[in-house]
Formats: sequence, structure tokens, C-alpha cells
Amino acid sequence: MIYVPAFLVLIPVVTGILILMFRNERMYLLAFLAQTLITVLAVSYFFVFRDDFASGAFVLGGWPEHIGITLANDRLSMSFIFLTILLWWVVLFYKYEPRKTDHSFLFFFLFLQGVFFGLLQTNDLFNLFVFIELTTIVATVLVGFKKTGSSLRAAIYYLLINTSGILMFLIGVLLLYNVFGTINLLHIRDNMEAMDSERLVQLAYILMMAGISIKAAIFPVYTWLPKAHGAAQSAVSALLSGLIVKSGVYLFIRMNQMFAALSLDYVDFFFIIGALTAIVGVVFALSQKDIKQILAYHTVSQVGIVFMGLAQVDAMTAHGGLLHAFHHGMFKSLLFLCAGVIIKVYRTKNVSEIRGVMKTMPFVSAMMIIGMLSITGAPLFNGYISKSIIKYGIEANPFQYAALFAVNIGTAASFIKASQIFFGEKPLSYAVKKRPPYVALAILSILCLVFGVFFAPLSDFFFTVDISHVSILSARGILEYALYLIAGYLIFRLIIKKDGSLIQRLRGFRPSFETANYVFVLYMAAMALHFIVL
Amino acid sequence: MNPVLTFIVVLIGLYGLATSKNIIKSVFCVTIIESGVILLFLNFANYEGGAIPIVSEDVAAIVDPLPHALMITTIVIGSAVTALALIICIKVFHHYGSTEWAQILRREDVK
Repeated sequence: MIYVPAFLVLIPVVTGILILMFRNERMYLLAFLAQTLITVLAVSYFFVFRDDFASGAFVLGGWPEHIGITLANDRLSMSFIFLTILLWWVVLFYKYEPRKTDHSFLFFFLFLQGVFFGLLQTNDLFNLFVFIELTTIVATVLVGFKKTGSSLRAAIYYLLINTSGILMFLIGVLLLYNVFGTINLLHIRDNMEAMDSERLVQLAYILMMAGISIKAAIFPVYTWLPKAHGAAQSAVSALLSGLIVKSGVYLFIRMNQMFAALSLDYVDFFFIIGALTAIVGVVFALSQKDIKQILAYHTVSQVGIVFMGLAQVDAMTAHGGLLHAFHHGMFKSLLFLCAGVIIKVYRTKNVSEIRGVMKTMPFVSAMMIIGMLSITGAPLFNGYISKSIIKYGIEANPFQYAALFAVNIGTAASFIKASQIFFGEKPLSYAVKKRPPYVALAILSILCLVFGVFFAPLSDFFFTVDISHVSILSARGILEYALYLIAGYLIFRLIIKKDGSLIQRLRGFRPSFETANYVFVLYMAAMALHFIVL
Repeated sequence: MNPVLTFIVVLIGLYGLATSKNIIKSVFCVTIIESGVILLFLNFANYEGGAIPIVSEDVAAIVDPLPHALMITTIVIGSAVTALALIICIKVFHHYGSTEWAQILRREDVK
């Protein structure tokens, strides 16, 4: 049982290699088998070490703990592991086509799962760097997998900007090693108070946060995300938006745990950054016409909401931010997978050309409506729960509350715009032959509902945090949701539908690569100004 | 070597990323940052008169071997990144006939 953390990393990678070696018809079964094995191992590991995760840590190679690489878990990483397993099951079902197995896709797909498990479990900062870089490389290959021009240019943009960010993270690791003489995350956390050179540690914090910000795609450095997630194939977009972006959120929590004793004032800074991310993401999403671009910009804005929750002193609000990251993983993958089915049938991504989905594909449109209700925060769906916890936490401050309110209205407006595709006549001249992937979509939409209704016992089970104070059918919640919808509809009718010159200019706004890097340097300078000088 | 000098190498790479308009140059700049980071690591591990970290009679004189082990890994990862980036560069050039960022990003999606 103690070897489970290592097996979680190894099983997907080895299975991927086997699939690539024996390019066989039945290899899909092997992928299902490996996935079942991982699920069983992870669940049993959780139940065995539920009360004492420290005893479940595994030191690779039998070295002493301060030298060797430790794979350890806690409730945070275990929850992320469960979300990973869930999303990989879903995409495995989504891509399942008998007699048409794409072996090299399966290899990269399973490999990404393995290295992501490594990223979640490792306790060694350099090993963390290796796993982050590996996820970047594998995700790059998956983004460019279609080999179209737009996906390739998105892939290289993604690879280069993430690599330069992660090298900044590596400099931070170097500074920490220089100060503490170890790169074990837990040892550094325990010795944080005893360090003597505060300036170097602060510099390390800034550099590491800069790298993590690029991974999480928050405000000034988010430009790679809409390109990559809009250009990749839908199954990959679902994984990237649902989970790989969350590696930034996960590392943000981990690093702030590690630097907790440094007592840096990160709350104000990252709240402002989060609010800007959310607003900018929504504004760009409103201007887009490509359905995948709309969804990708909404990932930016939802990550902004997550950061608005995480950057709070109050532990309950921070938990709301974390929960929103999980809920976002479910509904955003659902939306991307539904969009993928629709795009495949209609052969266009433009929302103003797709019409009558409700008649051609009733099942898919029902699932997509569930996803839309979740992302806009309708009561009974999971988005409502996490957004409510964040809302309770920040409503004392009118500016913060106004920012969240504006983002919610923008999200509603944007999805009212996207929901045009359901109505209208049926312009398809050909019949829809292919069956939609029922299982994959049904799993995700049922989970959206389950996490929206039975949120209290689930949160207690996974995080041991009691959130039963959120009431699903309060008059205030329903009234506010109605307000979002009405305001969103007005914005859609009065501003978006006219498609004025400002909106067209926003839609055509494509920052170049050197501008993105320039902004990245400025972002680091702003952090240095905030954390060191002021 | 002075750590400040190696840090300047990192800054040169960042300056290059923020100004170069060509994909190939951007790939080179990432490589330059990486070389800077590697030199920085080795610099911090080194001291005047230290021996290379290979076990010999004079064990007391050798420098800290851990940064060397880490940097071997970084070099391997860096070569993988560079290779992948250059391959995608070739593919992008086949699609767009150019390796200038401005030209390839300006194109509308063909579909």
C-alpha cells in the first residue's frame, strides 16, 4: 500500500508505452484496465491513510527523507487525484471508438495523467519543476495534435511562454536551496521562520509565483490560454481547461502553505489580480464568436474567481475558491465536450452560424444546458455552491462584491449569447449519423447536479470542511440569479448583438509573443514592487 | 565567476524574449535563460579551490554535488524542449511560410 504513490505515476506511463509498442486493435481495453487499476489503488489508498496521510509518504530509492524524493499526499492532493481520474475516465469514454484507436493519442493522453499525478504528489521542489515541465511538454504535443496551422502556432506559443515561466520558478528553487540547504517542501516550510536572509526568500517567492501565474493563466500572462484551448481538439481542451490549468491553482495553494511563516501580504495583491483576470476574461468572452474561444476565455475568468476566493484571509472563503476550482473542472469539461460534438456535426465553430441544436441533438443540448446553468451559478448546480461561499466571504467589502457581481452578470450575458445555438431552424442538409458519447456527457452532468445538491456531506468527506451553511433554495440566491439573467439579457440585447466597432476591435485583439513576454517581465516587476519595496 | 554576471545572462534572455519577433530567436532566448539558470546553480554550489564532485581520495574538498545532479536533469529537459520547439517551428513554417510571430498570429483560422 505504501508504494501506491509511485504506482500512480508509473502505471499510466508504462501502459502508454505498451500501447505505443503493440499497436493493436484491442489496446483500448488495456487503457481501460490501467484506468480501473489506478482508480482502485487511489481509492483504497485514500481509505487506508485517511486519518494519517503522513504515514503514507513514500521515499523513492530508500534514501533519508531530507535527501531523497518524497511522494506524499494530503487531502488537497488526493482530491485533485480523484478529479484527475474522473476526467480521464470521461475523456476515455468520449474518445472510445471501436476499430479506430489512435495509439499515439492514447500514449500522450495516459502519459499526461502519469506526470500530473507526479506533480500533485511530489514533495521535492526540483522534482516538482521536472513534473511541471513534463506536463508542459506533453500538453504541447496534445495541443498541436491536429497538426493544423492554428493548433501548431498555439502549441509553440504555449510551450515557449510556459518554459520561460517555469525557468523563473527554477531560479526560485535555487535561491531556496541556497538559503535552506534542502529542496524538500516540508522541511523548508518547517524552517521558514528560522531563516536569516529574508530578502532572498522574498525574491524566491516572487520568481516562483511568476512561474505559477503563467501556469494558472492569471491576468497579465493569460494570453496563451485562449489560443491553446481554442485550437486544440475538444477532448484535449476539456482536459487542459478542466485540470491542467488547475495545476497553477494547486501550486499557488502549496507554495503559500510553504511560505506561510514569511507573512507576506499576498492577499490584497492576488485578489486584485484575480478580479482583473475575471473581468478581462469575461469582456473578451463577450466579444468572441468562436464557441471554443468563448469557453476558453471563460476558463480565464473562472480561474480569476478561484483566485478571488483563494486570496482571502478567511479560511472558509479560501475553501470556496478551492471548491470552485473543482466544480469548474467538471462543468467546463462538460461544456467543451458538448461543444466538440456540436462542432463535429455542424462543421463550424461560429455561434452565429450554428442553429437548431435542440432539434438535431436533444441529448447533447440538454447536457450543455446543465453545463451552462452550472457555470452561471444557478441554484441546484455545483457552480452556485462555490460562488455562494466566495460571495459570503467578500460581501462585507462593497468593491470586492461589485467585482464578483459584474463577473456573474458578464458570464450570464455571454452564455445567453452562446445559447442562441439551441434555437432556430434546422439548417442541416444531412442527417446526423453518429451517436453522441452518452456515457461521458452523462457522468459529468450528473456529477454537476450531485455536487450542487449533496455538497455538504461531499465536502465533509473529501476535505473535512463543513459547508452546510450554504442554503440551495434561499430566496436571496434565486433572486440574485434572476437578476444576473435579466441584466445579462439586457447587455446581450443592447450591446453585444449590435456588434459595434469596439467589440470587433476586442475580437481582433491578438497580442504578439514578444508583447506577452514584455508584460510578463512587467508583472514580475510589479510583484517585486509590491512585496519587497512597499 | 560572479553570480551577478550569470544573472545578467538570464536578463539578456528575458530581454531577447521581450523584443525578438521571430520564433527561432524566441527559442534561442529560452535556451539562453536556461543556460543562465544552469550557470547560476553551479555558481552557488562552487567555491574557491573546490574539487569536482567525483569521489576520490580528497573527499573533503569536493563541492556540493546536488546542484550538479539537478542541472544534468535540467540540461536533458532543456534539450527536449528545444527539440520539440524547433520541430514545431518547421511545421509552422510549412503552414504559414514564415517564422515571424506577427505574421503567423495575424492570420485568421482557415476552416
